[in-house]
Amino acid sequence: MTKNNILLIASNPELVKELKGKDNITFLFPLSGFTVGFPTTYNLNEITTTGYIFINRLLDNAGIAEFKKIITNLPANIKGLVFDDLGILNVLMELNINISKILFLNHFNCNYASINIYLSYVDSVVISPDISESEIDEILAKSTKPLVLYTFGHVNIMYSRRTLLTNYNNYFHRQVKNVTSLEDDLTHHKFKIMENLYGTVIYTEKPFNGLRYLTKPNVLYNLINPVFLTNAEIINIINSNTTLENIYPYNYLSTQKTIYKLKERDL
Amino acid sequence: MIELLAPAGSLERLKIAYLYGADAAYVGGYNYGLRANAINFSFDELKEGVEFAHRLGKKLYVTVNIVLHNAELEGLKQYLEELASIKVDAIIVSDIVVIDCIKKNNIPLEIHISTQSSILNYETARFYQKLGAKRIVLAREASREDIKIIKDKTNLDIECFISGAMCTSLSGKCVLSNVATNRDSNRGGCAQICRWTFKIANENDLFSMTPKDLNMSRFLEDMVNIGVNSFKIEGRMRSIYYIATLVYEYRHLLDKIINHTIKESDILYSNDIINRCANRESTAQFYDKFPTEKEQYFLGREEVSNQDFLGVVLDYQDHMLKIEERNYFKIGDVVEFFGPHLEPITYTINKMYDEDGNTIKVARHPQMVVYLPFDTSLPPNTMMRLKIFDKNDYL
Repeated sequence: MTKNNILLIASNPELVKELKGKDNITFLFPLSGFTVGFPTTYNLNEITTTGYIFINRLLDNAGIAEFKKIITNLPANIKGLVFDDLGILNVLMELNINISKILFLNHFNCNYASINIYLSYVDSVVISPDISESEIDEILAKSTKPLVLYTFGHVNIMYSRRTLLTNYNNYFHRQVKNVTSLEDDLTHHKFKIMENLYGTVIYTEKPFNGLRYLTKPNVLYNLINPVFLTNAEIINIINSNTTLENIYPYNYLSTQKTIYKLKERDL
Repeated sequence: MIELLAPAGSLERLKIAYLYGADAAYVGGYNYGLRANAINFSFDELKEGVEFAHRLGKKLYVTVNIVLHNAELEGLKQYLEELASIKVDAIIVSDIVVIDCIKKNNIPLEIHISTQSSILNYETARFYQKLGAKRIVLAREASREDIKIIKDKTNLDIECFISGAMCTSLSGKCVLSNVATNRDSNRGGCAQICRWTFKIANENDLFSMTPKDLNMSRFLEDMVNIGVNSFKIEGRMRSIYYIATLVYEYRHLLDKIINHTIKESDILYSNDIINRCANRESTAQFYDKFPTEKEQYFLGREEVSNQDFLGVVLDYQDHMLKIEERNYFKIGDVVEFFGPHLEPITYTINKMYDEDGNTIKVARHPQMVVYLPFDTSLPPNTMMRLKIFDKNDYL
């Protein structure tokens, strides 16, 4: 079966250099000052290839003002925006900016009706990775436009506006780096954690492997997030003809539905 | 419009909130709410709650703020129509499909955007305003400056939390619970993983991300001045004593602010009462600064529980207060009564009687009925607590 196109987060310039020119890959550049959870971010003048820019910060009013400064002068190689804050969408609509718009809205796009409402404002929507594959299939079947599917990578499962690692370092007079790992003291759940000036992100310990999503219908892009992975691993993942489940077995939340009423445990 | 907004996890707590001075209360209905563990309201309870509120000229809001999955779409319209049929004053929403359903079907429900949407700027507020939102519940991370700008640029009703627990995460942006326990945090199942402790890298000191509670008592007047309309207390799972105490204190503070009679001593006294009731340290968090390590816990949850809540007045007859006991008290204890429209009254227990009229020295069984001699009538639902703070000490 034919694979869909990949939207690849540009985790470092070397990866971009190596994969530039591949027909099936579009780059997504985390924009400096507008993102959390990425070790490498880009100023607009550092983006030399065609691609989207990523804005996943929730913006305060100062952030919105900064965004307004850049949005009217985007270089021609920026084909679109992937963003989380609905204030960005409002600015784009009010200024009538004609650019491809993809709504990320992390953790929220969990049903086809909400997604179809947003699709009346934007070109595509990233389906929440927090839902089961059967729920995703129903969304894809009922969506009015092709959607973006989170397909591979560690998943951003918590975003705090606090600088949690800095606070820890200050309190205990430590020098823990701004990218590190956590392990729950009792249940031994493990996570990865990353901080920048704008907040702290906790990621799953293992990368979610949804490579089986690469051939799903009604998909605009399959999103791959290389954070914490080496360039060699990413290139192997992109070029592989199998789903690599032996190397990357983690299904995240795709294979079981979450519960939300405690009595459901008894059913 | 200035509104004191209280939480309620049951009909009893809802009525206490109103009686103690809340202008409005918010509750979870029988579906689509974010506190699956709270004792959410049945249709009949909601109906009774609305009627009770409206008789007092007050308002009731219902949370419909989960992030819906496909399966939950069915039944949404009917649920919203049921809420409208009993004249709920507004619903608190975060998923756009709920707003769309109301608008498409002309369901007469006022829309408030939940703090789950983590709104921090006026452009996001405007987006929701265009969709028909009347009110925005701002992210707890909003600074004073951001709140003011959002109000000035949108003139929407602005609702801000003033008290209670904080998420570590921006609201709606956390699924730690889903991953660690399979309980869906954005559908009411949050297991509060952010309050666990963690080992970090190779360090010996445990990592914690637990924030201290929010307490805005010092900044209420400023919040009024910059245009905040609704002052929201967190805690739908809290007790009647907690709700009575916080509503009572914040009501007094807001009234004095509105009447321009507020003094520093009022704030300091209320602050101590609130903090003791909440059991956790509290701070203004993001309002006046960017939080640092001082706004978090690191060495475990430093919660101090107490047994200050001694009883509830059930009745007054023949110069006797009929009290339902909640915590141990005894002859010689100095206690305090506080209640709706009642300044705290200090009282030393010199005599007390059981239900059969026998003299007793201690009341040791929760919910036992105790009679205390008292000169004047106190209304039912007046609270009796151990006297810890004396307002005169603050003057």
